[in-house]
Amino acid sequence: MASQSPPDADADPSADGDMAANGEEPLLSVSNLQTVFYTDKETIYAVDGIDFDVKRGETVGIVGESGSGKSVTARSIMGLIESPGKMLEGSSIRFDGQELTEFSAEEYQAIRGSGIGMVSQDPQQSLNPVYTVGNQIMEALEVNRGMSGEPARQEAIDLLEAVAIPDAARRLDEYPHEFSGGMRQRAVIAMMLACDPEFLICDEPTTALDVTIQAQILELLRDLQAEHGLSIIFITHDMGVIAEIADRVNVMYAGEIVEQAPVEELFADPKHPYTRGLLEAIPGRTEQGEQLRTIEGDVPTPNAPAEHCRFAPRCPVAFDACERIPPQPVTVEDGDEHTASCLLYPEGETEAERAEHHRAAAGERRRGHAESGGEP
Amino acid sequence: MASSTNTQNAEPLRRDDSTVLSRIADNPWPAARWVAVMGVLVLLELGALLGGFLNVVEALLIAVTGLAEVTVGLVSSSLAAGILGFQQSAASTLSGLRADTEGIPTLLSRDVIPNQGYQPGGTGAWEGPFLGLEPAYAWALRLVLVLAYALVLSYWLFRGWLVFREHYRQMEWSPTDDVVDKLRTHRWGQFGIVILVLFLTMGLFGPAMGPTTVEQNILSPYTEDSRIEYYNAESGSVETVFAGEANFNAKSIGSQDSNVGPMTYDDYGRFHPFGTLTNGRDLFTFMMGGARISLIVTGIAIGLGTLLAGGLAMVSAFYRGSIDLGVLTLADGIVSVPRLLLLIMVSAVFANTWLGNILDGGFLLAVVFGLTIWPFLWRAVRGPALQVAQEAWVDAAKSFGQQPSIIMRKHMFPYIMGYLLIYASMSAGGIIISLSALSFLGNGLGISPPTPAWGRAVSLGQGLVSGPSWHISFIPGAMIVLLVTGMNAFGDGIRDAIDPESDTGEGGETTAAGGGG
Repeated sequence: MASQSPPDADADPSADGDMAANGEEPLLSVSNLQTVFYTDKETIYAVDGIDFDVKRGETVGIVGESGSGKSVTARSIMGLIESPGKMLEGSSIRFDGQELTEFSAEEYQAIRGSGIGMVSQDPQQSLNPVYTVGNQIMEALEVNRGMSGEPARQEAIDLLEAVAIPDAARRLDEYPHEFSGGMRQRAVIAMMLACDPEFLICDEPTTALDVTIQAQILELLRDLQAEHGLSIIFITHDMGVIAEIADRVNVMYAGEIVEQAPVEELFADPKHPYTRGLLEAIPGRTEQGEQLRTIEGDVPTPNAPAEHCRFAPRCPVAFDACERIPPQPVTVEDGDEHTASCLLYPEGETEAERAEHHRAAAGERRRGHAESGGEP
Repeated sequence: MASSTNTQNAEPLRRDDSTVLSRIADNPWPAARWVAVMGVLVLLELGALLGGFLNVVEALLIAVTGLAEVTVGLVSSSLAAGILGFQQSAASTLSGLRADTEGIPTLLSRDVIPNQGYQPGGTGAWEGPFLGLEPAYAWALRLVLVLAYALVLSYWLFRGWLVFREHYRQMEWSPTDDVVDKLRTHRWGQFGIVILVLFLTMGLFGPAMGPTTVEQNILSPYTEDSRIEYYNAESGSVETVFAGEANFNAKSIGSQDSNVGPMTYDDYGRFHPFGTLTNGRDLFTFMMGGARISLIVTGIAIGLGTLLAGGLAMVSAFYRGSIDLGVLTLADGIVSVPRLLLLIMVSAVFANTWLGNILDGGFLLAVVFGLTIWPFLWRAVRGPALQVAQEAWVDAAKSFGQQPSIIMRKHMFPYIMGYLLIYASMSAGGIIISLSALSFLGNGLGISPPTPAWGRAVSLGQGLVSGPSWHISFIPGAMIVLLVTGMNAFGDGIRDAIDPESDTGEGGETTAAGGGG
């Protein structure tokens, strides 16, 4: 898997290197994002203080088990968190120099589509069955680019052709049920491209598709990215897909990002025990004849602010301090591209030193939030 | 068959750029046939149809301006007065137009097939009724023709859809096809449709169906136009008398010598299919007049209620949270007010004001019904609306920046419309009953007399049920039962037809019907 990623890196070597070097502001910058859901029984910290950046033209992967908060992250960025969910004060989502968390409903509506588009989890359902595919693509065109009538129709045909749907002119007048699963997903992507976004969030766009179609969609996304200069957040639970498409990867667990790294480094040298567990669970990476390893247990529901490492109960290398100290991101390689939130790091220090390091960082983080508005 | 292969080959092309009009131009014959028959049907009854249409327009105008008046009146009374002036002038223009339409020759009218007349000399041929027939037969002939016409007209409208589906629609199949096909084997639903059509017919063609007119027999029986000719057996000559005077001598008040029962003549040679009321007025004519006002009030009330319920259901499903809770609280608040008491209070407060006089008090009732019935409809459609709001395509529309109002209209409304239709038709029965109940109570409630209202007829005959004048209460009561049952049957039919899972139940019936036919 990892061997497939070099071509990606070759595709835009300048993007990665230069921009980081120039210190250009990232297109999207999420910091301390906290999205909680208030239910009658408990408060669920679905996304609990995550930070990551997406640069222009870059694909950032978010990977994790079901229930780790990936989709909530996507919906938070889109401003689609609905009651009983709420983004806490102190969360910051900066997009293209604007603070999205301060946006009103109307401003958000304007940025959705033309600014940030989203291809959602279920392509089978993303198209309204009572309207033709063309009707829905043209609707997106009208909303975001003010096109209607014949020009819109022509543009819709072009878009369907761009996502490699054959005989686009005829397909435009077909209903979603007349499309196959892969074609429907392409149509949804075409609908999002109709908005001409700078930024695309793909929330498990290939999960419902079979492997060949999956490969075609990934190929398509890569081409579109090269053509339109899109930045993409790609959410999936499939490490193989991540290896193919992402430039950098965030590994999420129970609402937190446990490891951030460029894709090759992550696959070559995973630091966090959870990431290691995920990679070991991929068939083909383990030794021949060996049983496929799994991570025992389930993702816990994060129903309280982190007071300990949430992965500790499932962690093969957990020790006492893991139950008491919430780990903070630590740089684990040269450069600051690769971080892991684990009490095993920084490497080379004693257990007591590491514990103290994380305790101090956690305290600092909490104080920082309290100053910027704070959480209850 | 050759043509069917052609269509299939031509399909991709047709789907691209043809419009309904261009498809009609390609293959004009089925459309032309349908239009020709429709044209004949319309021409036959142009006057009545135009009159009925203007009636509906007038009711709508009054409803809309009335609501505007009330709303504006909260802000500025002078503006409200302006709207009132506009309403009055527009309504009088419409009434004038309606009077003109009465001049348009109409085949099935009482001018062409009259039933009023007398027997010169007391026996023998009748002078006045159609072809010298007995008034009962002349009236029955007209009634049957009008009913037949209404049924044929309804069928032909449906036929229009069939022609469209077969020759001019691009899609080979749509979910509506299934709904219609299921209704075609759903006897109970068809019963409801027939009752509904009959009720609409009474509302639209009522003036031609009664043995006499509401105007002559009930509203102004003492004007020169309301004189009738009859053969006076005592003097042995033909005399004229005011309809009102004749009514006075044709009362049904429960005694054998003072009763005009169903299917009998009174002393003035007038035929009374349903007998007469306690004040001698013709019950059948009264029922036809009552059908019209019931129809208008129920229509306005259900229209308003459905609009509110559908809109609020989508709003609460789309925004949820505190907005949903707010609507819920409002709905619960409205439900907790006893509707009958509210109606009585509102009727009392607005008695003899301009608002209370629109549509003889019917408008105010319609508004109160509309404003109190929506919580029930809202509760019923909120669930489906919530379900639709969770659909991924609603999310997709949000994520490409579509406005909430358009998302609701375009991506949510089509999915709750069926539910609205079902619940609206079922609630309509309740409104008819409540309206009748108000008229039954009388004393300034309900539709003001002398405008006919079914409930009032029931109330008039209340004490006479056990005697010879049983018809006064029984017939209108039975009509109300029939109508409400029909409305519910209609709702049941639509529900079964819309629900794809009702397939299995209908399958057996289809085979049975197929075997029988």
